[in-house]
Amino acid sequence: MAALPESISQRLVNWARIKSPWITLFNSGACNACDIEVIACLMPRFDIERFGILAKGSPRHADILIVTGHVTLKQASRLRRVWEQIPEPKYVIAMGACGASAGAFHGLYHIMERVEDVIPVDVYAAGCPPRPDEIINAVVTCLNLLKEDQVHGGKEWRQNKSDEMMKPIERKVEM
Amino acid sequence: MPIGPHHPALKEPVNFRVIADGEKIVRLELDLSYNHRGIEKAAEQRDFIRVLPLLERVCGICSHSHSSAFAKGIEEIMQIEIPPRAQYIRTIIAELERMHSHLLWLGVAAHEIGFNTLFMWTWRDRELVQDTLEEMSGNRVHYGMNEVGGVRCDLTPHQVSTALERLPFLEERIYQYVDMVNAQQTLLLRFKGVGKLTREEVLKYGAVGPTARASGVDYDARRDDPYFVYTEVPWNVVTDTNGDVYGRTCVRIGELRESASIVRYCLENLPEGPVRVNAPKIAPEGEIFSRYEAPRGELAHFIRTNGTNKVERVDIRTPTLANWTSVAMCLVDQNLADIPVIVAAIDPCLSCTSRITLISTPGRKPGIVTFDELRKRGQTYCQEQGPP
Amino acid sequence: MTALLTLDYVAEKMKEFGTAEQVRSNRIRIRTTPERVSNAIQKALDSLGCDRLITISTADNGTTFELFYHLIGPHRTVVSIAIEIPRDQPEVISMSGILSPAGIYERQIHDLFGIMFRGHPGLKKIILNEDWPADEFPLRKDWKKNPDTYYGGIKVERT
Repeated sequence: MAALPESISQRLVNWARIKSPWITLFNSGACNACDIEVIACLMPRFDIERFGILAKGSPRHADILIVTGHVTLKQASRLRRVWEQIPEPKYVIAMGACGASAGAFHGLYHIMERVEDVIPVDVYAAGCPPRPDEIINAVVTCLNLLKEDQVHGGKEWRQNKSDEMMKPIERKVEM
Repeated sequence: MPIGPHHPALKEPVNFRVIADGEKIVRLELDLSYNHRGIEKAAEQRDFIRVLPLLERVCGICSHSHSSAFAKGIEEIMQIEIPPRAQYIRTIIAELERMHSHLLWLGVAAHEIGFNTLFMWTWRDRELVQDTLEEMSGNRVHYGMNEVGGVRCDLTPHQVSTALERLPFLEERIYQYVDMVNAQQTLLLRFKGVGKLTREEVLKYGAVGPTARASGVDYDARRDDPYFVYTEVPWNVVTDTNGDVYGRTCVRIGELRESASIVRYCLENLPEGPVRVNAPKIAPEGEIFSRYEAPRGELAHFIRTNGTNKVERVDIRTPTLANWTSVAMCLVDQNLADIPVIVAAIDPCLSCTSRITLISTPGRKPGIVTFDELRKRGQTYCQEQGPP
Repeated sequence: MTALLTLDYVAEKMKEFGTAEQVRSNRIRIRTTPERVSNAIQKALDSLGCDRLITISTADNGTTFELFYHLIGPHRTVVSIAIEIPRDQPEVISMSGILSPAGIYERQIHDLFGIMFRGHPGLKKIILNEDWPADEFPLRKDWKKNPDTYYGGIKVERT
């Protein structure tokens, strides 16, 4: 798909998005370890604010949503609503082992097991909890995806490629 | 109004409904289901090696507390003694965890009143504690040091000496926080007289930890039910008589000083020897009530075993649950503006991402307010009121 | 802080309620019946010197439910008052009138085990999702997740 000709204002907006994305954090029932690592990113030691990355409280101002935790049953609908409030283009980072596959909590009765069951995820950050360095790496990966998607005009090119990888996995859960 | 901060600090999901009359609070109701995962049920299906990582992740800030309380309970049922070096290492990690938790709390409480400089300073100092923990255990949070029968890995002499080198800097910073708490007008204005609990109220509502010790109630599970090496190390219980948020701040800073001295003593007097014993795979039938002093208060694990390699029942009572009744009671008749400060003062260890809905006196429409706006509202309210 | 309570002292004071045994150097357990438990707790608060409830623990041993009320005071001895409730009619009087912190623990136990506390001011759901089916109690030994039920408005299909 050819890139659309970009006006100056469009180029300015794209540059601003890549140069300083705003993130919002959503805790979907986690043990808080990932949250304090994200907040440690904002602190003087790792300081992602010098890159222009601001942590905003409201989803309406954000470009990137960071989801911590495996989703509990109560937070599932709220997570979906928060995700819908974020304006396009939006990216989701699922943090930790919990975001990928429920981590240590596999098989528990009050959780949804995967963030992917509720909202589409773009980047996974590995660790339990991921170190602040790895979180910054995940945000930078997200920015690279943003740049590529702007060239291709959106996210669809990635989704068509990975349809065969996104078939539902059949899991056996012990209770 | 359901309170639910969606703000970058203090990320815990809890929802409690505050029914307010104008600016004064009338009643408080609680809803804890955001974070419930069903850990107690899952712990019944994992054997003693696999259940410790699960119990560690009950809470990210006091993870060592949960696994230590469980491990020491199981060791007592199995009737095995862990070697002295393992006990010293467990104590060192426990006190380092207490330091990092109190520094975290100090930053978050400062953030609640808008004092972001202190937030940045305390979290920067906290990085030193995290570095020490990372060198010793391999991870900044969720150390995984405990095993039934001892400790997973040993401390090398190099690790001990680097930790000892970091301690003087930390102790000097803690003294600066003591001066700051006594002198800074912003802090004193927002903390003094707010959320006061008398001694009788603390006993009646069952508060634990620094919240209780700030009102003069002298309970500390490290002294009353001693475990690890707290009978050998010289240390003091820190209490205060103020009973309000200022008193709780003073208690926590006092505990920071005590923890630093306990860590120093343990690092200097670490005995030689093995760090673990071989524990049997199967625990005999038994029942134990294991108490532990987590950074937030007294943690109680009720453990019952049934002669297999899995635990039959583990019933966990976290200190934050014990403190919620006292928060609900002491918020009545306080200003809306003080909610963030009082809630933060008990150091909640749930995840609070609820949104605040204001339900004023009956007849008026409810509106939704975020915790950020409530915090700003509190700050402007206090600025308008002026210094007392 | 005063001296630890001795077994004889506790057994003497509480002998009308049941037998006392020393399960650990600082813990004494008294077994009593559900009808007498509120009097037992009141007696412990008045004459044994206990002033605080630590927690209420529950266990399911297959045939009955067991409840433990753990009390403590300046003597630093944990006095555990244990009762057993029949499985087909799990009901007991609420202690929230005598001990204020009991209210929150009883709400949690009611959610997870289904034990009814008579006289409790408000047994609303506190720890399970509000859409959780009302007659399923997860921590009972015979509970398994039913694949056809909606838990919290969500039905997750797994094989």
